[in-house]
Amino acid sequence: MSAIRLENLVKRFGGFTALKTMDLSIADGEFMALLGPSGCGKSTTMNMIAGMERPSEGRILFGDRDMSGVPMGRRGVGFVFQNYAIFTHMTVRRNLDYGLRMTGRPAAEVAKRTAAMADLLGLTDLLDRPAAGLSVNILQRLAIGRSAVMEPAIFLLDEPLSNVDAAFRAVMRTELKSLQRQFRQTMVYVTHDQLEAMTMADRIAVMDHGVLQQVGTPLQVYNDPANIFVARFIGAPGMNLLPGRLAETDRGLAVDLGPLGLTPPLPAPLAAAARGGKAEVTYGFRPEEVHLDPEGAALHLPLLLTERIGARNILHLGETGDAVRAVFPAGATLPAGGTVRFAPAEASVRLFDTASGRAIRGV
Amino acid sequence: MNRSPVFEVFRYAAILIALAITLVPILWMVSMAFKPVAEWQATGAALTWVPRTPTLDNFRFLFGQSGSDLIVALDRTAGKPILSSLLSASVGTLIAMSAGTAAAYGLSRFGSGANLPLALIQLRLFPPMAVMIPVMIMWAFLGLMDTWWGLALIYGIVTLPFAFWLMKTFFDDMPKEIEEAALVEGCSRWRVFTRVTLPMMAAPLAAAALFVFILNWSDYLIALLLTTREWVTIPVYMASLSSSMTGQLYGAKAALGLIAAVPPVILGVMIQKHLVRGLTFGALKQ
Amino acid sequence: MTMADRIPAPAAQPRADAPETARLGFRLTLPAQILVLFISVFPLLMQLYISLTDWSPLAGVSWPHAWEYWNSFANYTDILGDGRLWSALWRTALVIMVCVPVEFLLGLALATLFVDDFPGKRVAYSVLIMPMMVVPAVAGYMFFMLFQSGGPVNDILSWFTPEPVTLAWLSDPTLALVAVMAADIWQWTPLMFLILLAGLVGVPDDQLKAAALLGASPWARFRTIVIPRMKTIIVIALSIRVIEAFKIFDTLYIMTGGGPGVATETISVYIYKITTQDLIWGYVAAIALFILIALSVAAVWAMKRMAK
Repeated sequence: MSAIRLENLVKRFGGFTALKTMDLSIADGEFMALLGPSGCGKSTTMNMIAGMERPSEGRILFGDRDMSGVPMGRRGVGFVFQNYAIFTHMTVRRNLDYGLRMTGRPAAEVAKRTAAMADLLGLTDLLDRPAAGLSVNILQRLAIGRSAVMEPAIFLLDEPLSNVDAAFRAVMRTELKSLQRQFRQTMVYVTHDQLEAMTMADRIAVMDHGVLQQVGTPLQVYNDPANIFVARFIGAPGMNLLPGRLAETDRGLAVDLGPLGLTPPLPAPLAAAARGGKAEVTYGFRPEEVHLDPEGAALHLPLLLTERIGARNILHLGETGDAVRAVFPAGATLPAGGTVRFAPAEASVRLFDTASGRAIRGV
Repeated sequence: MNRSPVFEVFRYAAILIALAITLVPILWMVSMAFKPVAEWQATGAALTWVPRTPTLDNFRFLFGQSGSDLIVALDRTAGKPILSSLLSASVGTLIAMSAGTAAAYGLSRFGSGANLPLALIQLRLFPPMAVMIPVMIMWAFLGLMDTWWGLALIYGIVTLPFAFWLMKTFFDDMPKEIEEAALVEGCSRWRVFTRVTLPMMAAPLAAAALFVFILNWSDYLIALLLTTREWVTIPVYMASLSSSMTGQLYGAKAALGLIAAVPPVILGVMIQKHLVRGLTFGALKQ
Repeated sequence: MTMADRIPAPAAQPRADAPETARLGFRLTLPAQILVLFISVFPLLMQLYISLTDWSPLAGVSWPHAWEYWNSFANYTDILGDGRLWSALWRTALVIMVCVPVEFLLGLALATLFVDDFPGKRVAYSVLIMPMMVVPAVAGYMFFMLFQSGGPVNDILSWFTPEPVTLAWLSDPTLALVAVMAADIWQWTPLMFLILLAGLVGVPDDQLKAAALLGASPWARFRTIVIPRMKTIIVIALSIRVIEAFKIFDTLYIMTGGGPGVATETISVYIYKITTQDLIWGYVAAIALFILIALSVAAVWAMKRMAK
């Protein structure tokens, strides 16, 4: 039973509430990423799943089993710390077989399982070397192997790649993902890097300031953000978000963005949902979905600078260059300067209530 | 780590016991210091932890204003021993800190005096008794016997290792960039040391000086051997207080012990952050 | 907090202004060098000289004339036959072998209780470290008063027995030794507590948590993670304490004067007595050199072992 369910989870530290009423279900064998900026409560959540912290309210279930009161040594979870927490005063072997020895497994079994895990992770040659001073890549494998050898149903990883060079990160991401497929455990992965979450997770739980913002597949949180926070956080650069007011035009409901101009008319389902509601809305669209110099209604902003980074070009539009960003592939023809006329692709337009941040979804 | 309530109870119980054991001897001495003569030798049922009639007589006795029942004449009041302890400990600290800080800086920044670390540790390795005879002879020869400045000199030498090692680790920990910046601006190295480094080191210097002072103030053996009458320090004086008529002057000695013990305890608590570093010669920091 | 490698080796960097720095460095270290020389060279030579004589300050001639009492190595052979000396050394060893382990274990136990935060921790910590800052001579007197036959220790013990306890601690050879050890343990356990706590705090919390998650019990974590990582600190703490315990004098002398008889006479007390009472300084010098050599050999041996 390795599904996880968090029910009404609250965690307070003295007067400070780190986690406010979190409800989350993680399926058996799923790779769930807890994504959010520092202080959003993701590590706190994971520590509670592991048993390192006790919830102030609510409960955690593994399958049908309520984990309240089960000490952390008996939950059957594997945990990979941010800095790996390798026992640097021991050899690789003693690290790998630590859990097996501490739980009193017979020596023959310990040796067999350790050897198998070492083989799986390519650590066999290093078994009798001191664990200190090994490369980060090896340490990550060792950290995973040390937990994996206990065959836990649930694996928890706390930002394991944050101490790794950017160059290595891609490599290690792939390794981690393939290991998860191999072991078929439920994996909960804490990160502040949305790219990591997007590439590795089956589903992402986006959190901010102790509140769960949205849970969904990478595609869902990308295409259909539940609120302004998620829209801005996911994607690099994040969604363009322009506050404005609803305005009826002769071609339909549009958004008046003030100095930027009037947007093209909203797609019908969105307009239907927005009409009659609050007038202050935020107009959103992905930077990759921008058409330059379209026919019909368009927005205009001055071009501040163009970032050319190999396969992509990023146009920074606006007085300070951060009002709107537009991303184009390398070969595209781009304006050299001056005022740019542009409009988002109709399918990519998103609307949010400016006050609450919540998405206005089309009916 | 989450601790179970059982553990918390156990922890508090253990700590309370430890606190009690720590405080009992001290409190007994404090209590005795305020007890009148009649209660000094109380035993059995009469033994009290709090004086029945607390009095400052013991302290008055020490300073020459004889109290009620003590018909003993002291050959001196406690004033001079206190002065002797103060002077010898302070000047000794000055000597140790001056030589030690300078040498520590020289080693830390310029690599001079590479023999000093080992030599100074060896100084602390051997029992003082093993070297006191030559010291006594030298001091007698130099006319330093039974003087507070003679004591100050030997104190300065004996605590030099602590001053040196403490300051050396502090200097090693201090980033060199600030000094280098001053050097680039044209200061001579000596000026850098006196105008830049030392002021920045005011807090560690103070802590090290207090640490050394405590050690000097606490000495007994060296003062015992090097002073006879004039400039005995508090511990020596305290040990010598006795009377054939009233037996051990418990109260008076306790009062004197209190006077001697209070300053180092207060100073020690003040610098507790640095105690580990001082006691392990910088091998460990807190 | 980390264990810094404090092996006495300087880190000298050659600089463009090398001559100036070398001169300044020399001048800065000069006072310390002079003081060290002052206290080591002359005393050593002088002791070497008079250790080969029968000289005593009572002899009527000043020490440079000690050669008149030349007896070459007689003092050194006397050392071998000096029962009182060897008893004193044995007693010192006994004190070390009892007190240091007890101080270590008690200090470690206390330190484990202070690793987490709890209300009142600061105050408790400040109080618990007080004993080691009490002037040792005063501590000696405190315990002298405590162990009087009509005193508080017997009083407290009487709470637990049907009849009042009237042990004559300081008049009984064995009890006096116990009392002296109790005083030492009282005064120096806080030192072990202080140092070991600093070491305990340095054990990475992550590793302890990782071990717990892998199923290790608190005792197993202590055994496999805490103690191994504290090895160097433990060695330092024990070394410091053993060296200081060897020198024990102040507290003990004031408590018992080395008595009753010679029951609590440690090596420093013995040397003190024959220096100030018997005044056989030639012999004392020989003992001093004997100890100096023995300790140097021990120190070198210990350093070799640690380097491995």
